[in-house]
Amino acid sequence: MLLELAGVSRRFGGLAAVADLSMTVAEGAIHGLIGPNGAGKSTVFNLVSGVLPVSAGAIRFRQAPITGLTPAEICRRGIARTFQATTVFREYTVRQNLLVAAQPRVNDGTLAALFRLRDYREREAAAVARTGELVSTLHLDLIADRMVAGLPHRDQKALSVGMALATGATLLLLDEPLAGLTLAETREVMDLLRTVRAGGITVLLVEHDMRAVMDLCDRITVLDHGTRIAEGTPREIQTDPAVIEAYLGAEA
Amino acid sequence: MARSTFLGPAVTLALVAAVGVALPVLTQDSYHLDVATTVAMNLLLTMSLRLQLNTGQVNMAHISFMGIAAYASALAVTRLGLSFWIALPLAPLVAAAFAVPIGLVALRLSGPYYFLVTFAFSEVVRLVFNNFFVGLLGGASGLVDIPAPSPLLGLTFTDKPSQYWLMLMLFLLGAVVLVRLDYSRFGLLSGAIRQSELLAATLGVGVLRVKLTAFVIGAVWAGVAGAFFAHSHHVLHSSDFGLEPMVLLVAYTVIGGVGSVWGPIVGTILLTFTSEMLRELRAYETLVYGLVLILTMLFVPDGLVSIPGRLRRAWQRRRAGRADAMGVGVAA
Repeated sequence: MLLELAGVSRRFGGLAAVADLSMTVAEGAIHGLIGPNGAGKSTVFNLVSGVLPVSAGAIRFRQAPITGLTPAEICRRGIARTFQATTVFREYTVRQNLLVAAQPRVNDGTLAALFRLRDYREREAAAVARTGELVSTLHLDLIADRMVAGLPHRDQKALSVGMALATGATLLLLDEPLAGLTLAETREVMDLLRTVRAGGITVLLVEHDMRAVMDLCDRITVLDHGTRIAEGTPREIQTDPAVIEAYLGAEA
Repeated sequence: MARSTFLGPAVTLALVAAVGVALPVLTQDSYHLDVATTVAMNLLLTMSLRLQLNTGQVNMAHISFMGIAAYASALAVTRLGLSFWIALPLAPLVAAAFAVPIGLVALRLSGPYYFLVTFAFSEVVRLVFNNFFVGLLGGASGLVDIPAPSPLLGLTFTDKPSQYWLMLMLFLLGAVVLVRLDYSRFGLLSGAIRQSELLAATLGVGVLRVKLTAFVIGAVWAGVAGAFFAHSHHVLHSSDFGLEPMVLLVAYTVIGGVGSVWGPIVGTILLTFTSEMLRELRAYETLVYGLVLILTMLFVPDGLVSIPGRLRRAWQRRRAGRADAMGVGVAA
């Protein structure tokens, strides 16, 4: 198992946003995490990426515990996430955004940068090259040097996925990558996610667009009130009575 | 990281240097040189302050590190009998020695809490200068009789022009370092942290490390300015490193623009000239700065340095709009 949550809980005061959640994500999968609003999906992302500490339980990535690590450390282990709202650095160009993400393991030292030591130059060149590759993979060539603030929503979404990729992560946590996209744009980003998976990268996806989720995912976990109410293939989930009840209310 | 400038960093720096070198050729007036020396010193202070503002941190103790180095340098020369040329690199290291622990504590806080902690530290430093170790630091009457820099390689530094040259060289050295850093990965990460600390952290950026580096390097260059200040003014008072000059530094930097390494240069030079021209209004100076600061934040939040870029983009939009109206597609 690539990612494993064992009995994970997160309480805010008296409210359990996530309660005793156990789930696993298999390597190479596109795994959907769905549920009604307030089910705790984003909280799960915050716990796995280290943005919030867990109240109880353990999270393991490649068998190693990652609970208690900082977001930056977790990213360096190979987990990158996107956010619903702040997904990109708006004052930077597409290329600069990718560069921020591109080389977190590079020596960020100021002395090396100041004197442009050979090691620094080589790593910088490698990062620039990698950024260039990503720009073409994401089909952002034409706008690579434009400031992000003025770009269409679709490009910002694609860029945020690209930034997660640029970290060299092997597991991407994508928080609603399709929200606010048109039908055609949705299809483009879905194709992008399939390309990503084909490259051997695992995706854990929170998404409200059910058609896309059913179409994309190999496996789906359904949350409601912070607990897992179902898990299975898209076909299994669609016919699961507990899921239908959570989403529609009994016989709505 | 700096967005692409019109001329490129090396050319822009060379231009700044050329203006600095040309100045004493154009005027021998000692008042003019005095103002120019102060501008060069303030430039070093605002550029190093901006290094920290670019990580989103308003360090109100920046001027205290200038003060610590100023007192350290003065004492090293008067009490330990060291040469100014030894004290000059030593004093900023003393400032850095204070900055590391202070930064490690303060930078764990954010926003208003960080602001308040650094402000509190600056008041402590000011009070120590004013009230404690009076025999050593001179107390309220100040630390006096600080000698001018000793001669070096046959050059003397007792008159205005030579002190101007010394400060100009120190400023240019600092500017080269700070501009270079801004155009490096360090500058790129700093600006990313300012825009969204959380996003930067989840992308693997060591946020605290970048902030601490900016904090300490900022203190070092403030310290260089402090050492020069001590030996060109010959007297140090605690109020030299108090709230009022600190607010001026923030105003210069923010009005010029925090997002660009050139912002503080534009802000400092422009505001110093206006304040010299409005000398009659001395009593209202802070009032005017406050007003300009508010107007800047309202209408040009990225500072004066962002105006050309804004105009250019507006012009491009207008052209694109007109082309659209005529049914002609204009590619990018």
